[in-house]
Amino acid sequence: MAKLKIIFSQTLMIASAILFGLGVEEAIDYIITGDIYMRWQWYIPLSIILCAFICSVPSIIFADERSSGRRFTVKVVIHFICIFAAVSLFGLLFGWYTDLAGFLVIAVMIVIIYAFTWVATYWLLKSDENKINDALKDVRDEE
Amino acid sequence: MKVILEKVSSPEDERALIKAAEVTEEIRSAMDLLENNCRSILVSELSDERSSGETIMLGTDKIYYTESIDKKTFVYTKEKCYGSKLRLYELEDTLSSNFFRCSKSLIVNIRKIRSVKSELNGRMIAELLNGEQLVISRSYVKDLKRKLGV
Repeated sequence: MAKLKIIFSQTLMIASAILFGLGVEEAIDYIITGDIYMRWQWYIPLSIILCAFICSVPSIIFADERSSGRRFTVKVVIHFICIFAAVSLFGLLFGWYTDLAGFLVIAVMIVIIYAFTWVATYWLLKSDENKINDALKDVRDEE
Repeated sequence: MKVILEKVSSPEDERALIKAAEVTEEIRSAMDLLENNCRSILVSELSDERSSGETIMLGTDKIYYTESIDKKTFVYTKEKCYGSKLRLYELEDTLSSNFFRCSKSLIVNIRKIRSVKSELNGRMIAELLNGEQLVISRSYVKDLKRKLGV
């Protein structure tokens, strides 16, 4: 059940991140070309959700993992490779990119979103941890 | 039992007189609460894994955490482990607000937690004052925050 929750929440987060990336890409396109329309084939929104789901599956490798150590670093690398491969494959199948330049844009987007997600996750975890530890100082017994 | 409260002018004049036919566990607990400002619970010393030893009253301020294993309840202090006839949910009702359930089988004394560390999966690892580490399940982290007013 816990793993299903992780997959579900990750699917939502990744789908949001992909939509954010596409939004930024289209905003840049508008600034450069002045094109106010964004044209998508009918299957693109569904392909984004499906891609987000596939990308969320590797996250279960962190379900029982303590967030430190060499083993953890190896898992992060494997996780990134899985996500990079999944997004690249989906991009190819659903026509998110048609040439090398398009692929490079997608690749840069993956790296930025991946790094941002880790930084945000770490910041949120540390923030909670620090708040609790500060509160514990006031109630802790002296031993 | 009939309880009579009589107000006095200063804390030095405060007294508690208990008239009881016999000293039951509840009476003993009330006496501990009044005398030592903490409750006590009845626990059995574990002489070995199979048999229980002497039964004693243990102040709840000495308890680090309690754990339920195979329907048996164990109470842990800084260095010792005791058995309890109470089920974990019964202990939860008995123990003070300083205790909180950190997983399905564990109740921990907040005052004995040295620090916590967040895990990626939403759980937290609590390090106690005696160096032991306990897992705070993801669903109980909110309870800890609420208890601490975070």
